[in-house]
Amino acid sequence: MNSVWPLSITLAYVAIVMMIGLRARHKGANMNSLEEWGVAGRSMGPVMLYLLIAAGSVSAYTFMGAPGWAYSKGVAVFYVATYLAYLALIAWYFGPKVWQFGAEFGHVTQASAIADRYQSPALGALAALVMAVGSIAYAVLQTIGSAYILFVMSGGLIPVWLGVVLVLACIAVYLYASGQRAIGRTNAFQGMLMLMVAWAVGMWAVHSATGGLSFAGVFERIQAEHPEFLTLPGASGDMSYSFWTTSIIISMLSFMPPVWTQWMSASSARTIRRSATWLPTYYVVILPMVVVGFIGIFSLPELVRADTVALEYAMQQLPVVLVGLLGAGTLAASMSSSEPFIHSVSLSLSKDVIQPLLKLSNAMTGRLARLMIVPIMALVIAPLAIAEPGSLVMILLVGLGFASQVLPAFIGMFFWPRASRLGVMAGIVAGFLVTVAFTTLWSHPLGIHAGFWGLMINLPVFIGVSLITPATNADVVERFFRIAAPRGLTHLGKASR
Amino acid sequence: MRRLLVLPTTRAGWGLLIAFVALIVMGTWPVIGWVNRATLVLGLPLMVVWSYLVIFACVAVMVVGNHIVERDNHE
Repeated sequence: MNSVWPLSITLAYVAIVMMIGLRARHKGANMNSLEEWGVAGRSMGPVMLYLLIAAGSVSAYTFMGAPGWAYSKGVAVFYVATYLAYLALIAWYFGPKVWQFGAEFGHVTQASAIADRYQSPALGALAALVMAVGSIAYAVLQTIGSAYILFVMSGGLIPVWLGVVLVLACIAVYLYASGQRAIGRTNAFQGMLMLMVAWAVGMWAVHSATGGLSFAGVFERIQAEHPEFLTLPGASGDMSYSFWTTSIIISMLSFMPPVWTQWMSASSARTIRRSATWLPTYYVVILPMVVVGFIGIFSLPELVRADTVALEYAMQQLPVVLVGLLGAGTLAASMSSSEPFIHSVSLSLSKDVIQPLLKLSNAMTGRLARLMIVPIMALVIAPLAIAEPGSLVMILLVGLGFASQVLPAFIGMFFWPRASRLGVMAGIVAGFLVTVAFTTLWSHPLGIHAGFWGLMINLPVFIGVSLITPATNADVVERFFRIAAPRGLTHLGKASR
Repeated sequence: MRRLLVLPTTRAGWGLLIAFVALIVMGTWPVIGWVNRATLVLGLPLMVVWSYLVIFACVAVMVVGNHIVERDNHE
Protein backbone atom coordinates (compact mmCIF):
# COMPACT_ATOMS: atom_id res chain seq x y z
CA MET A 1 0.00 0.00 0.00
CA ASN A 2 1.66 3.22 -1.16
CA SER A 3 -0.80 5.87 0.03
CA VAL A 4 -0.10 7.77 3.24
CA TRP A 5 -3.83 8.14 3.94
CA PRO A 6 -4.50 4.84 5.76
CA LEU A 7 -1.67 5.36 8.25
CA SER A 8 -2.48 9.06 8.66
CA ILE A 9 -6.14 8.31 9.45
CA THR A 10 -5.19 5.54 11.85
CA LEU A 11 -2.65 7.72 13.68
CA ALA A 12 -5.13 10.62 13.77
CA TYR A 13 -7.56 8.25 15.51
CA VAL A 14 -4.86 7.36 18.08
CA ALA A 15 -4.19 11.07 18.73
CA ILE A 16 -7.92 11.80 19.22
CA VAL A 17 -8.32 8.89 21.63
CA MET A 18 -5.29 10.08 23.63
CA MET A 19 -6.79 13.55 23.88
CA ILE A 20 -10.21 12.25 24.93
CA GLY A 21 -8.70 9.88 27.48
CA LEU A 22 -6.49 12.53 29.05
CA ARG A 23 -9.30 15.09 29.27
CA ALA A 24 -11.69 12.59 30.83
CA ARG A 25 -10.61 13.17 34.46
CA HIS A 26 -12.70 15.50 36.54
CA LYS A 27 -11.00 18.61 37.88
CA GLY A 28 -10.33 18.20 41.57
CA ALA A 29 -11.12 14.48 41.57
CA ASN A 30 -8.78 12.33 43.65
CA MET A 31 -7.58 9.83 41.06
CA ASN A 32 -5.74 7.86 43.73
CA SER A 33 -9.05 6.81 45.25
CA LEU A 34 -10.38 3.38 44.27
CA GLU A 35 -13.89 4.82 43.91
CA GLU A 36 -12.70 7.46 41.44
CA TRP A 37 -10.04 5.63 39.42
CA GLY A 38 -11.76 2.26 39.68
CA VAL A 39 -15.46 3.00 39.12
CA ALA A 40 -15.48 6.65 37.99
CA GLY A 41 -17.11 7.77 41.24
CA ARG A 42 -20.21 5.73 40.24
CA SER A 43 -21.22 8.58 37.95
CA MET A 44 -21.87 7.30 34.43
CA GLY A 45 -25.15 8.13 32.71
CA PRO A 46 -27.15 5.76 30.47
CA VAL A 47 -25.71 6.83 27.10
CA MET A 48 -22.11 6.68 28.31
CA LEU A 49 -22.74 3.31 29.96
CA TYR A 50 -24.42 1.99 26.79
CA LEU A 51 -21.40 2.89 24.66
CA LEU A 52 -18.94 1.76 27.35
CA ILE A 53 -20.39 -1.75 27.55
CA ALA A 54 -21.17 -1.98 23.82
CA ALA A 55 -17.71 -0.92 22.64
CA GLY A 56 -16.06 -3.04 25.32
CA SER A 57 -17.88 -6.16 24.14
CA VAL A 58 -17.22 -5.53 20.44
CA SER A 59 -13.56 -6.45 20.11
CA ALA A 60 -11.23 -6.77 17.13
CA TYR A 61 -13.24 -9.95 16.59
CA THR A 62 -15.98 -7.89 14.93
CA PHE A 63 -13.63 -6.44 12.32
CA MET A 64 -11.33 -9.42 11.83
CA GLY A 65 -12.62 -12.61 13.47
CA ALA A 66 -16.30 -12.28 12.54
CA PRO A 67 -15.72 -11.65 8.81
CA GLY A 68 -13.18 -14.49 9.02
CA TRP A 69 -15.79 -16.83 10.53
CA ALA A 70 -18.32 -15.82 7.86
CA TYR A 71 -15.64 -16.49 5.22
CA SER A 72 -14.71 -19.92 6.58
CA LYS A 73 -17.92 -21.14 8.28
CA GLY A 74 -20.88 -18.93 7.25
CA VAL A 75 -23.91 -18.05 9.41
CA ALA A 76 -22.42 -19.91 12.39
CA VAL A 77 -20.80 -16.55 13.24
CA PHE A 78 -24.17 -15.24 14.46
CA TYR A 79 -23.92 -17.18 17.69
CA VAL A 80 -21.82 -14.20 18.83
CA ALA A 81 -24.58 -11.66 18.15
CA THR A 82 -27.07 -13.90 19.95
CA TYR A 83 -25.00 -14.35 23.12
CA LEU A 84 -24.16 -10.64 23.21
CA ALA A 85 -27.90 -9.91 23.28
CA TYR A 86 -28.31 -12.44 26.10
CA LEU A 87 -25.51 -10.70 28.00
CA ALA A 88 -27.75 -7.61 27.93
CA LEU A 89 -30.47 -9.66 29.69
CA ILE A 90 -27.87 -10.65 32.28
CA ALA A 91 -26.88 -6.99 32.71
CA TRP A 92 -30.55 -5.97 33.01
CA TYR A 93 -31.24 -8.40 35.86
CA PHE A 94 -27.93 -8.57 37.74
CA GLY A 95 -26.43 -5.16 36.96
CA PRO A 96 -28.73 -3.11 39.25
CA LYS A 97 -28.18 -5.54 42.15
CA VAL A 98 -24.40 -5.48 41.65
CA TRP A 99 -24.54 -1.68 41.59
CA GLN A 100 -26.44 -1.66 44.90
CA PHE A 101 -23.92 -4.06 46.46
CA GLY A 102 -21.15 -1.71 45.37
CA ALA A 103 -22.88 1.46 46.51
CA GLU A 104 -23.91 0.05 49.92
CA PHE A 105 -20.94 -2.19 50.75
CA GLY A 106 -18.16 -0.28 48.96
CA HIS A 107 -17.17 -2.97 46.46
CA VAL A 108 -15.19 -1.82 43.43
CA THR A 109 -14.37 -5.23 41.99
CA GLN A 110 -16.13 -8.54 41.41
CA ALA A 111 -13.67 -10.40 43.66
CA SER A 112 -14.34 -8.01 46.59
CA ALA A 113 -18.04 -8.82 46.31
CA ILE A 114 -17.22 -12.56 46.37
CA ALA A 115 -14.86 -12.12 49.34
CA ASP A 116 -17.54 -10.15 51.21
CA ARG A 117 -20.45 -12.53 50.50
CA TYR A 118 -18.50 -15.59 51.63
CA GLN A 119 -16.43 -13.75 54.28
CA SER A 120 -13.33 -15.19 52.67
CA PRO A 121 -10.49 -12.99 51.39
CA ALA A 122 -8.85 -16.21 50.16
CA LEU A 123 -11.81 -17.00 47.89
CA GLY A 124 -11.78 -13.40 46.62
CA ALA A 125 -8.05 -13.60 45.91
CA LEU A 126 -8.48 -16.94 44.16
CA ALA A 127 -11.24 -15.52 41.95
CA ALA A 128 -9.13 -12.41 41.19
CA LEU A 129 -6.04 -14.43 40.28
CA VAL A 130 -7.71 -16.94 38.02
CA MET A 131 -9.93 -14.35 36.34
CA ALA A 132 -6.69 -12.43 35.69
CA VAL A 133 -5.37 -15.31 33.54
CA GLY A 134 -8.26 -15.10 31.08
CA SER A 135 -8.33 -11.30 31.22
CA ILE A 136 -4.62 -10.94 30.44
CA ALA A 137 -4.82 -13.48 27.59
CA TYR A 138 -7.74 -11.48 26.18
CA ALA A 139 -5.86 -8.17 26.47
CA VAL A 140 -2.80 -9.74 24.80
CA LEU A 141 -4.87 -10.98 21.85
CA GLN A 142 -6.41 -7.52 21.40
CA THR A 143 -2.95 -5.91 21.59
CA ILE A 144 -1.67 -8.29 18.90
CA GLY A 145 -4.65 -7.22 16.76
CA SER A 146 -3.81 -3.54 17.32
CA ALA A 147 -0.15 -4.02 16.41
CA TYR A 148 -1.12 -5.99 13.30
CA ILE A 149 -3.36 -3.13 12.15
CA LEU A 150 -0.56 -0.59 12.60
CA PHE A 151 1.77 -2.92 10.69
CA VAL A 152 -0.65 -3.21 7.75
CA MET A 153 -1.68 0.46 7.71
CA SER A 154 1.97 1.57 7.70
CA GLY A 155 2.82 -0.82 4.88
CA GLY A 156 5.24 -2.62 7.21
CA LEU A 157 6.99 0.55 8.48
CA ILE A 158 5.74 -0.01 12.03
CA PRO A 159 6.90 -3.49 13.04
CA VAL A 160 4.72 -5.52 15.39
CA TRP A 161 6.97 -4.93 18.43
CA LEU A 162 6.81 -1.17 17.92
CA GLY A 163 3.05 -1.31 17.36
CA VAL A 164 2.65 -3.17 20.66
CA VAL A 165 4.77 -0.57 22.49
CA LEU A 166 2.92 2.36 20.87
CA VAL A 167 -0.57 1.07 21.59
CA LEU A 168 0.19 0.05 25.18
CA ALA A 169 2.01 3.32 25.91
CA CYS A 170 -0.96 5.27 24.59
CA ILE A 171 -3.43 3.28 26.72
CA ALA A 172 -1.13 3.48 29.78
CA VAL A 173 -0.98 7.27 29.68
CA TYR A 174 -4.71 7.94 29.67
CA LEU A 175 -5.60 4.96 31.84
CA TYR A 176 -3.17 6.15 34.52
CA ALA A 177 -4.42 9.71 34.25
CA SER A 178 -8.18 9.14 34.14
CA GLY A 179 -8.92 5.47 35.00
CA GLN A 180 -12.48 4.27 34.38
CA ARG A 181 -13.55 7.73 33.18
CA ALA A 182 -10.99 7.44 30.35
CA ILE A 183 -12.38 4.02 29.43
CA GLY A 184 -15.91 5.46 29.42
CA ARG A 185 -15.11 8.47 27.23
CA THR A 186 -12.78 6.66 24.82
CA ASN A 187 -15.19 3.73 24.49
CA ALA A 188 -18.01 6.18 23.70
CA PHE A 189 -15.95 7.67 20.87
CA GLN A 190 -14.69 4.25 19.73
CA GLY A 191 -18.22 2.81 19.83
CA MET A 192 -19.59 5.51 17.53
CA LEU A 193 -16.57 5.25 15.22
CA MET A 194 -16.92 1.47 14.93
CA LEU A 195 -20.61 1.70 14.06
CA MET A 196 -19.97 4.29 11.37
CA VAL A 197 -16.94 2.50 9.91
CA ALA A 198 -18.57 -0.94 9.87
CA TRP A 199 -21.59 0.29 7.91
CA ALA A 200 -19.53 2.49 5.55
CA VAL A 201 -17.14 -0.36 4.75
CA GLY A 202 -19.96 -2.92 4.50
CA MET A 203 -22.11 -0.84 2.16
CA TRP A 204 -19.17 0.14 -0.04
CA ALA A 205 -18.04 -3.48 -0.25
CA VAL A 206 -21.56 -4.58 -1.22
CA HIS A 207 -21.69 -1.89 -3.90
CA SER A 208 -18.30 -2.86 -5.30
CA ALA A 209 -19.23 -6.58 -5.31
CA THR A 210 -22.77 -6.39 -6.69
CA GLY A 211 -23.24 -2.89 -8.14
CA GLY A 212 -26.13 -2.26 -5.73
CA LEU A 213 -26.63 -1.46 -2.06
CA SER A 214 -28.72 -4.46 -1.06
CA PHE A 215 -27.23 -7.41 0.80
CA ALA A 216 -29.58 -9.63 -1.23
CA GLY A 217 -27.20 -9.72 -4.22
CA VAL A 218 -24.44 -11.17 -2.03
CA PHE A 219 -26.61 -13.81 -0.39
CA GLU A 220 -28.40 -14.87 -3.59
CA ARG A 221 -25.01 -15.70 -5.07
CA ILE A 222 -23.94 -17.57 -1.93
CA GLN A 223 -27.24 -19.47 -1.94
CA ALA A 224 -26.72 -20.51 -5.56
CA GLU A 225 -23.03 -21.40 -5.34
CA HIS A 226 -22.29 -22.26 -1.68
CA PRO A 227 -25.54 -22.96 0.24
CA GLU A 228 -23.61 -24.74 3.01
CA PHE A 229 -22.54 -21.29 4.28
CA LEU A 230 -26.18 -20.41 5.04
CA THR A 231 -26.89 -23.17 7.57
CA LEU A 232 -25.37 -24.94 10.56
CA PRO A 233 -23.01 -26.78 10.98
CA GLY A 234 -21.45 -24.30 8.52
CA ALA A 235 -19.02 -24.80 5.66
CA SER A 236 -16.30 -26.20 7.92
CA GLY A 237 -18.84 -28.56 9.54
CA ASP A 238 -17.83 -27.82 13.13
CA MET A 239 -20.73 -25.72 14.48
CA SER A 240 -23.22 -28.38 15.49
CA TYR A 241 -26.50 -27.52 17.26
CA SER A 242 -25.00 -28.70 20.54
CA PHE A 243 -21.88 -26.55 20.16
CA TRP A 244 -23.94 -23.52 19.11
CA THR A 245 -26.25 -23.94 22.10
CA THR A 246 -23.64 -24.70 24.75
CA SER A 247 -21.29 -21.96 23.48
CA ILE A 248 -24.09 -19.42 23.85
CA ILE A 249 -25.02 -20.62 27.34
CA ILE A 250 -21.44 -20.69 28.58
CA SER A 251 -20.63 -17.26 27.11
CA MET A 252 -23.80 -15.86 28.65
CA LEU A 253 -22.96 -17.22 32.10
CA SER A 254 -19.38 -15.92 32.12
CA PHE A 255 -19.52 -12.90 34.41
CA MET A 256 -16.28 -11.21 33.35
CA PRO A 257 -14.77 -8.83 35.94
CA PRO A 258 -14.58 -5.70 33.69
CA VAL A 259 -18.32 -5.89 33.01
CA TRP A 260 -18.95 -6.06 36.75
CA THR A 261 -16.79 -2.93 37.23
CA GLN A 262 -18.69 -1.21 34.40
CA TRP A 263 -22.01 -1.91 36.15
CA MET A 264 -20.61 -0.41 39.35
CA SER A 265 -19.59 2.73 37.43
CA ALA A 266 -23.23 3.61 36.66
CA SER A 267 -24.85 6.60 38.32
CA SER A 268 -27.82 4.49 39.50
CA ALA A 269 -29.41 1.05 39.29
CA ARG A 270 -31.98 2.48 36.87
CA THR A 271 -29.18 3.70 34.59
CA ILE A 272 -27.94 0.14 34.14
CA ARG A 273 -31.41 -1.15 33.28
CA ARG A 274 -31.90 1.66 30.72
CA SER A 275 -28.51 0.97 29.08
CA ALA A 276 -28.94 -2.80 29.08
CA THR A 277 -32.39 -2.48 27.51
CA TRP A 278 -31.01 -0.87 24.36
CA LEU A 279 -27.64 -2.63 24.34
CA PRO A 280 -28.65 -5.34 21.81
CA THR A 281 -29.42 -2.65 19.22
CA TYR A 282 -25.68 -1.92 19.02
CA TYR A 283 -24.99 -5.38 17.64
CA VAL A 284 -26.20 -4.32 14.20
CA VAL A 285 -22.52 -3.34 13.97
CA ILE A 286 -21.68 -7.00 13.29
CA LEU A 287 -23.91 -7.46 10.23
CA PRO A 288 -22.09 -5.34 7.59
CA MET A 289 -18.66 -6.71 8.54
CA VAL A 290 -19.99 -10.26 8.32
CA VAL A 291 -21.36 -9.45 4.85
CA VAL A 292 -17.80 -8.45 3.82
CA GLY A 293 -16.71 -11.94 4.92
CA PHE A 294 -19.44 -13.49 2.75
CA ILE A 295 -18.30 -11.35 -0.22
CA GLY A 296 -14.80 -12.73 0.32
CA ILE A 297 -16.09 -16.29 -0.28
CA PHE A 298 -16.43 -15.58 -3.99
CA SER A 299 -14.06 -12.58 -4.33
CA LEU A 300 -11.03 -13.92 -2.44
CA PRO A 301 -11.35 -17.71 -2.64
CA GLU A 302 -7.63 -18.40 -2.11
CA LEU A 303 -7.10 -16.39 1.07
CA VAL A 304 -4.64 -18.06 3.49
CA ARG A 305 -5.74 -16.34 6.73
CA ALA A 306 -9.53 -16.08 7.02
CA ASP A 307 -9.39 -13.30 9.64
CA THR A 308 -7.69 -10.93 7.17
CA VAL A 309 -10.60 -11.12 4.70
CA ALA A 310 -12.08 -7.68 5.48
CA LEU A 311 -8.69 -5.93 5.37
CA GLU A 312 -7.62 -7.75 2.20
CA TYR A 313 -10.88 -6.97 0.46
CA ALA A 314 -10.72 -3.33 1.55
CA MET A 315 -7.14 -2.93 0.32
CA GLN A 316 -7.99 -4.44 -3.07
CA GLN A 317 -11.40 -2.87 -3.71
CA LEU A 318 -12.11 0.15 -1.49
CA PRO A 319 -10.83 3.75 -1.59
CA VAL A 320 -7.77 4.47 0.57
CA VAL A 321 -9.77 6.70 2.90
CA LEU A 322 -12.10 3.81 3.72
CA VAL A 323 -9.09 1.53 4.22
CA GLY A 324 -7.76 4.06 6.73
CA LEU A 325 -11.13 4.24 8.46
CA LEU A 326 -11.26 0.45 8.62
CA GLY A 327 -7.80 0.50 10.21
CA ALA A 328 -8.96 3.10 12.73
CA GLY A 329 -12.19 1.16 13.39
CA THR A 330 -10.35 -2.11 13.94
CA LEU A 331 -7.83 -0.39 16.20
CA ALA A 332 -10.76 1.18 18.09
CA ALA A 333 -12.33 -2.24 18.54
CA SER A 334 -9.19 -3.83 19.90
CA MET A 335 -8.21 -0.91 22.16
CA SER A 336 -11.73 -0.46 23.54
CA SER A 337 -11.75 -4.13 24.53
CA SER A 338 -8.22 -4.42 25.92
CA GLU A 339 -8.27 -1.33 28.16
CA PRO A 340 -11.15 -2.48 30.43
CA PHE A 341 -9.39 -5.80 30.96
CA ILE A 342 -6.04 -4.16 31.80
CA HIS A 343 -7.80 -1.77 34.18
CA SER A 344 -9.77 -4.57 35.80
CA VAL A 345 -6.73 -6.82 36.34
CA SER A 346 -4.78 -3.96 37.87
CA LEU A 347 -7.67 -2.98 40.13
CA SER A 348 -8.45 -6.51 41.26
CA LEU A 349 -4.85 -7.62 41.88
CA SER A 350 -4.27 -4.52 44.00
CA LYS A 351 -7.58 -4.60 45.87
CA ASP A 352 -8.22 -8.33 46.25
CA VAL A 353 -4.76 -9.91 46.34
CA ILE A 354 -2.11 -7.41 47.47
CA GLN A 355 -4.21 -5.31 49.90
CA PRO A 356 -5.29 -8.25 52.12
CA LEU A 357 -1.83 -9.80 51.88
CA LEU A 358 0.12 -6.69 52.90
CA LYS A 359 -2.68 -5.08 54.96
CA LEU A 360 -2.51 -1.87 52.92
CA SER A 361 -4.80 1.12 53.49
CA ASN A 362 -7.41 2.00 50.87
CA ALA A 363 -5.46 5.14 49.94
CA MET A 364 -2.27 3.15 49.38
CA THR A 365 -4.19 0.50 47.42
CA GLY A 366 -5.69 3.20 45.17
CA ARG A 367 -2.21 4.52 44.32
CA LEU A 368 -0.97 0.99 43.78
CA ALA A 369 -3.84 0.11 41.39
CA ARG A 370 -2.98 3.10 39.17
CA LEU A 371 0.72 2.23 39.09
CA MET A 372 0.11 -1.48 38.62
CA ILE A 373 -0.96 -0.99 34.98
CA VAL A 374 2.69 -0.28 34.09
CA PRO A 375 4.23 -3.60 35.20
CA ILE A 376 1.20 -5.52 33.92
CA MET A 377 1.67 -3.98 30.48
CA ALA A 378 5.48 -3.87 30.39
CA LEU A 379 6.27 -7.22 31.97
CA VAL A 380 3.32 -9.39 30.93
CA ILE A 381 1.18 -8.08 28.09
CA ALA A 382 3.92 -6.54 25.89
CA PRO A 383 6.31 -9.53 25.96
CA LEU A 384 3.45 -11.96 25.34
CA ALA A 385 2.02 -9.84 22.49
CA ILE A 386 5.45 -9.55 20.83
CA ALA A 387 6.28 -13.24 21.30
CA GLU A 388 2.77 -14.38 20.22
CA PRO A 389 3.02 -17.78 21.94
CA GLY A 390 1.09 -20.51 20.18
CA SER A 391 -0.65 -21.48 23.40
CA LEU A 392 -2.23 -18.05 23.87
CA VAL A 393 -5.59 -18.96 22.41
CA MET A 394 -5.57 -22.05 24.59
CA ILE A 395 -4.83 -19.91 27.67
CA LEU A 396 -7.72 -17.64 26.67
CA LEU A 397 -10.12 -20.56 26.18
CA VAL A 398 -9.17 -22.06 29.53
CA GLY A 399 -9.44 -18.61 31.14
CA LEU A 400 -12.89 -17.98 29.72
CA GLY A 401 -13.90 -21.54 30.57
CA PHE A 402 -12.93 -20.74 34.15
CA ALA A 403 -14.97 -17.56 34.13
CA SER A 404 -18.12 -19.59 33.71
CA GLN A 405 -17.02 -21.93 36.52
CA VAL A 406 -17.32 -19.05 39.01
CA LEU A 407 -21.10 -19.29 38.51
CA PRO A 408 -21.72 -20.93 41.97
CA ALA A 409 -20.33 -17.81 43.66
CA PHE A 410 -23.04 -15.78 41.91
CA ILE A 411 -25.80 -18.32 42.58
CA GLY A 412 -24.95 -17.91 46.25
CA MET A 413 -25.00 -14.14 45.89
CA PHE A 414 -28.29 -13.78 44.02
CA PHE A 415 -30.41 -16.93 44.43
CA TRP A 416 -29.43 -19.35 47.19
CA PRO A 417 -28.54 -18.10 50.69
CA ARG A 418 -27.37 -21.53 51.84
CA ALA A 419 -24.39 -21.54 49.42
CA SER A 420 -21.21 -21.92 51.47
CA ARG A 421 -17.61 -20.82 50.94
CA LEU A 422 -16.39 -24.42 50.75
CA GLY A 423 -19.23 -25.36 48.40
CA VAL A 424 -18.25 -22.57 46.02
CA MET A 425 -14.56 -23.48 46.19
CA ALA A 426 -15.24 -27.19 45.62
CA GLY A 427 -17.54 -26.44 42.68
CA ILE A 428 -15.04 -24.06 41.08
CA VAL A 429 -12.12 -26.48 41.44
CA ALA A 430 -14.12 -29.46 40.09
CA GLY A 431 -15.55 -27.44 37.21
CA PHE A 432 -12.20 -25.90 36.38
CA LEU A 433 -10.41 -29.27 36.23
CA VAL A 434 -13.10 -30.69 33.93
CA THR A 435 -12.99 -27.58 31.72
CA VAL A 436 -9.19 -27.71 31.43
CA ALA A 437 -9.27 -31.45 30.62
CA PHE A 438 -12.02 -31.03 28.02
CA THR A 439 -10.25 -28.07 26.43
CA THR A 440 -6.72 -29.46 26.28
CA LEU A 441 -6.89 -33.28 26.39
CA TRP A 442 -10.23 -34.16 24.82
CA SER A 443 -11.58 -31.11 23.05
CA HIS A 444 -15.33 -30.48 23.55
CA PRO A 445 -16.56 -34.12 23.79
CA LEU A 446 -19.77 -34.91 21.85
CA GLY A 447 -19.63 -31.41 20.36
CA ILE A 448 -20.53 -29.88 23.73
CA HIS A 449 -18.54 -26.89 24.99
CA ALA A 450 -15.90 -27.83 27.60
CA GLY A 451 -17.20 -25.13 29.98
CA PHE A 452 -20.67 -26.70 29.83
CA TRP A 453 -19.23 -30.08 30.86
CA GLY A 454 -17.43 -28.25 33.66
CA LEU A 455 -20.70 -26.74 34.90
CA MET A 456 -22.45 -30.12 34.84
CA ILE A 457 -19.89 -31.36 37.41
CA ASN A 458 -19.44 -28.04 39.16
CA LEU A 459 -23.08 -27.40 40.11
CA PRO A 460 -23.86 -30.75 41.83
CA VAL A 461 -20.54 -30.57 43.72
CA PHE A 462 -21.31 -26.97 44.76
CA ILE A 463 -24.79 -27.87 46.04
CA GLY A 464 -23.68 -31.08 47.77
CA VAL A 465 -20.69 -29.53 49.56
CA SER A 466 -22.70 -26.40 50.49
CA LEU A 467 -25.34 -28.54 52.20
CA ILE A 468 -22.80 -30.35 54.39
CA THR A 469 -20.56 -27.40 55.29
CA PRO A 470 -21.27 -24.32 57.44
CA ALA A 471 -23.21 -21.49 55.80
CA THR A 472 -21.90 -17.93 55.81
CA ASN A 473 -22.71 -15.76 58.83
CA ALA A 474 -26.47 -15.02 58.80
CA ASP A 475 -25.96 -11.24 59.13
CA VAL A 476 -23.90 -11.16 55.94
CA VAL A 477 -26.38 -13.34 54.05
CA GLU A 478 -29.27 -11.14 55.20
CA ARG A 479 -27.37 -8.04 54.09
CA PHE A 480 -26.88 -9.43 50.57
CA PHE A 481 -30.36 -10.88 50.16
CA ARG A 482 -32.04 -7.67 51.29
CA ILE A 483 -30.80 -6.41 47.90
CA ALA A 484 -30.94 -9.64 45.86
CA ALA A 485 -34.48 -10.47 47.03
CA PRO A 486 -36.14 -7.24 48.21
CA ARG A 487 -39.54 -8.98 48.38
CA GLY A 488 -38.31 -11.95 50.35
CA LEU A 489 -37.28 -15.50 49.67
CA THR A 490 -39.43 -18.45 48.64
CA HIS A 491 -39.54 -21.63 50.71
CA LEU A 492 -40.60 -24.44 48.36
CA GLY A 493 -43.59 -22.49 47.12
CA LYS A 494 -44.39 -20.66 50.38
CA ALA A 495 -43.57 -16.97 50.77
CA SER A 496 -41.05 -16.59 53.55
CA ARG A 497 -38.58 -14.10 54.93
CA MET B 1 -32.27 -21.73 55.10
CA ARG B 2 -31.27 -24.67 52.93
CA ARG B 3 -34.59 -24.63 51.01
CA LEU B 4 -34.87 -20.89 50.62
CA LEU B 5 -34.54 -19.60 47.09
CA VAL B 6 -35.02 -16.34 45.21
CA LEU B 7 -38.00 -16.74 42.89
CA PRO B 8 -40.48 -14.24 41.42
CA THR B 9 -43.14 -13.21 43.91
CA THR B 10 -45.67 -11.61 41.58
CA ARG B 11 -47.52 -12.66 38.44
CA ALA B 12 -45.66 -10.02 36.44
CA GLY B 13 -42.36 -11.32 37.81
CA TRP B 14 -43.20 -14.86 36.71
CA GLY B 15 -44.24 -13.51 33.31
CA LEU B 16 -40.86 -11.82 32.92
CA LEU B 17 -39.01 -14.97 33.96
CA ILE B 18 -40.97 -17.01 31.40
CA ALA B 19 -40.25 -14.37 28.72
CA PHE B 20 -36.49 -14.47 29.51
CA VAL B 21 -36.46 -18.27 29.28
CA ALA B 22 -38.45 -18.12 26.02
CA LEU B 23 -35.84 -15.74 24.55
CA ILE B 24 -33.03 -18.16 25.42
CA VAL B 25 -35.02 -21.04 23.93
CA MET B 26 -35.61 -19.04 20.72
CA GLY B 27 -31.87 -18.69 20.13
CA THR B 28 -30.79 -22.23 20.94
CA TRP B 29 -31.54 -25.86 20.07
CA PRO B 30 -34.11 -27.20 19.24
CA VAL B 31 -35.73 -23.98 17.96
CA ILE B 32 -32.61 -22.97 16.05
CA GLY B 33 -32.86 -26.28 14.17
CA TRP B 34 -36.30 -25.30 12.85
CA VAL B 35 -34.91 -22.17 11.14
CA ASN B 36 -31.72 -23.82 9.94
CA ARG B 37 -32.58 -23.64 6.25
CA ALA B 38 -30.67 -22.22 3.27
CA THR B 39 -33.50 -19.85 2.38
CA LEU B 40 -33.45 -16.07 2.13
CA VAL B 41 -35.91 -13.72 3.80
CA LEU B 42 -35.79 -10.04 2.76
CA GLY B 43 -32.52 -10.87 1.01
CA LEU B 44 -30.86 -12.21 4.16
CA PRO B 45 -30.29 -15.82 5.26
CA LEU B 46 -33.11 -17.11 7.49
CA MET B 47 -30.60 -17.78 10.32
CA VAL B 48 -29.47 -14.14 10.22
CA VAL B 49 -33.05 -12.80 10.21
CA TRP B 50 -33.93 -15.11 13.11
CA SER B 51 -30.83 -14.06 15.11
CA TYR B 52 -31.78 -10.38 14.78
CA LEU B 53 -35.39 -11.20 15.61
CA VAL B 54 -34.17 -12.75 18.86
CA ILE B 55 -31.90 -9.76 19.48
CA PHE B 56 -34.71 -7.22 19.05
CA ALA B 57 -37.11 -9.41 21.02
CA CYS B 58 -34.63 -9.08 23.90
CA VAL B 59 -34.99 -5.29 23.68
CA ALA B 60 -38.81 -5.55 23.64
CA VAL B 61 -38.89 -7.80 26.72
CA MET B 62 -36.55 -5.50 28.63
CA VAL B 63 -38.68 -2.46 27.70
CA VAL B 64 -41.71 -4.24 29.17
CA GLY B 65 -39.58 -5.25 32.17
CA ASN B 66 -38.66 -1.61 32.81
CA HIS B 67 -42.33 -0.67 32.91
CA ILE B 68 -43.05 -3.46 35.40
CA VAL B 69 -40.09 -2.67 37.66
CA GLU B 70 -40.81 1.06 37.67
CA ARG B 71 -44.56 0.57 38.13
CA ASP B 72 -43.97 -1.73 41.10
CA ASN B 73 -41.34 0.71 42.36
CA HIS B 74 -38.70 -1.81 43.38
CA GLU B 75 -35.11 -2.20 42.31
